Amino acid sequence: MTKEEQLSIINDTIKKTKYNLKPLGYNLVFWGVLIITMSLFHYFFPQIVQFTYYSSLIYWVAIPLLGMVYTTYYNINSGNKLGYETQLGRVIRIIWAVFGLSWISIVVLNLLHDSNPVQDILFLLSTVLIMSGLIIRFKPVTFGGVGLLIFTIYTYYVPDINFLLVNVVGITFGMLIPGLALYLLKKDE
Amino acid sequence: MNKEIEKLLFNPIRLKAISFLMTVETCNFKALLDITESSKGNLSIQLKKLNASGLINIEKYFQKSYPTTDYSITKKGKNSFEEFYKQLLSLK
Repeated sequence: MTKEEQLSIINDTIKKTKYNLKPLGYNLVFWGVLIITMSLFHYFFPQIVQFTYYSSLIYWVAIPLLGMVYTTYYNINSGNKLGYETQLGRVIRIIWAVFGLSWISIVVLNLLHDSNPVQDILFLLSTVLIMSGLIIRFKPVTFGGVGLLIFTIYTYYVPDINFLLVNVVGITFGMLIPGLALYLLKKDE
Repeated sequence: MNKEIEKLLFNPIRLKAISFLMTVETCNFKALLDITESSKGNLSIQLKKLNASGLINIEKYFQKSYPTTDYSITKKGKNSFEEFYKQLLSLK
């Protein structure tokens, strides 16, 4: 085997290693749909969700926790199917795992202190989306994050805004649409 | 160039395996089988040789009652491969 052949084998092998973007797209779509559905259900049926003070706490913590269990199971399965994890995949996984834990912490802390967690969550989500978009070099996710950040800042200047509708608008443009674009993408990074 | 490494990576299956492991955190046997396009037995032998020379880690464990093996590159493996790659480029 010549030196050129060795170099060719190395380059070809490295080119074959792709970061699979579909699971991230699927995760964004799943969470987008879940949060939008939960927000709309809360908006239209407040008497059910806010039956007691702690019922809304349970609603906004228990369902996302179940969602986390499901997405963790899905991500482990898709990782096993692929058979390997790239450095890029590991970075994205860690970022979103930390976001998930922060999300639950923010919800619990805000609800225990009788304040609304929506703005804090959307702010954190926008930064995570921007980071993810920049890391995987996918503009719709980066722009979705920037749009969500601007929208979240805007909500601080609008008094008496309905946070459930803020959630629906913010998550649709920041998570659901970029997630769909990523999921429907054919090439991998 | 380190003669031992040069000799080890002269084999295309070992070279493909270590090039792949340079780009991933961990991988399973099937992924290496796909990337090296070799037979199970041959790949297993080549991986054991890479492991014996300290270039890769082999971690065996049970997942849902099934034996699973994860492969990753060691620090020595990374350094050796980088040196080997630089030497190849300089000789080109």
